[in-house]
Amino acid sequence: MRVYEVFVKKDGRNEFRHVGALEAATDELALVLAREAYLRRAEGDRLWVVRRDHVVAAPGDFVDPNADKPHRHHDGAAVAARRMAARQSPG
Amino acid sequence: MARSWATMEDFEAFLDDGGLVEADDPMPDAYRQAVFAFIEMHANSELMGGLTERDWIPKTPGLRHKMAVLAKTQDEIGHGHLLYMVAADLGVKTRVEMLEDLFAGRSRFHNVFHYRAVTWGDQVAIAFLVDAAALISQQAVFKNCSYGPYKRILRRIIAEEGFHMRLGEDRMLRIAEGTDRQRLMFQESLNRWFWPALQLFGPDSESDDVLLRWHIKSERNEVLRDRWVQRFVPMLQSYGFTIPAPDMRWDAVTHRWDVGPIDWEPLKRTLAQGGPDSSRRIREAAGSWSRTAWVRAALSADLSDNGVADNCAGNGSTSTGGS
Repeated sequence: MRVYEVFVKKDGRNEFRHVGALEAATDELALVLAREAYLRRAEGDRLWVVRRDHVVAAPGDFVDPNADKPHRHHDGAAVAARRMAARQSPG
Repeated sequence: MARSWATMEDFEAFLDDGGLVEADDPMPDAYRQAVFAFIEMHANSELMGGLTERDWIPKTPGLRHKMAVLAKTQDEIGHGHLLYMVAADLGVKTRVEMLEDLFAGRSRFHNVFHYRAVTWGDQVAIAFLVDAAALISQQAVFKNCSYGPYKRILRRIIAEEGFHMRLGEDRMLRIAEGTDRQRLMFQESLNRWFWPALQLFGPDSESDDVLLRWHIKSERNEVLRDRWVQRFVPMLQSYGFTIPAPDMRWDAVTHRWDVGPIDWEPLKRTLAQGGPDSSRRIREAAGSWSRTAWVRAALSADLSDNGVADNCAGNGSTSTGGS
């Protein structure tokens, strides 16, 4: 038996979402089991199963450096203040 | 996010702050064991409940209800499997070890599945009262559960249990509107199932219950039990049924029903696999497992057959399509 991760997507709008896992002997059976365990009531119209040992997972701290990059955001407050100031100062 | 907790105090502070634990987090072993035991019992109960439901597929009256019972059976077995995967990822036991323990009577399942459903009225009482009790418990776990994978899988389980409860209410109403004989049948079922359903919530929570401290459960057993009593006692009475609790009284001050003293001995017996139907239930479940051994053996053989199975899955069936 292999462990598979199950991903489901609902209509044209949303991303594939991880919904859970299952054990199956083959890819084909994994699809059947995924449909019967996770998609009994039209929870999605597209289905991926991925063998867990094929998932390349980042180490726990791999994405941490990007948690502190304020220069990659702009909250707009400074721009709004400047815009306001520009509007109020005579031409 | 890499994280670890140097001490139990740090870990508990994380939980108190609403933190969610994931399967690959370095959680304290006591927490791992507690959350595993809780999910394993839930998984076992879903599976045993599904087998009970299955027994009634041939006997369910009417095609529409028969189809609904088929769907419910598949839901319950399905819930068991989703939960076994979540439990297995904690690394305490494998999925097969959990199943083997269940079928050997070495692990527990909910008290209500240690009783026999004798009539169709019993099935209605189970679908209505027991599913409602399970739903109230699961909603309280879902609301604030600190173990992320369990919380996420509970969302889908709760949605489906809601269908079951509504189905139970539909059936109960049909019986309530039925003949005297049907009403008597349901009253007898109520007499059999009221107390086991109420005992599903367990005795009052201990003050040092780790399930509460670690936010695996979010509400005390007695609070959940009372919620069920206040909802179902008046509802059943309004349809003309009698609650089989001779000491029950209406408290005019608090405006609440008090069911009186609860005998916890029947619950204790079920936890020791000594309920009225425990041995037959476990034997039946073990029989299903051993009769299907050839399927598992065939699948394992297929897997070792040098990629034959992989080839047959490759014929476009895994196409992901555009998105």
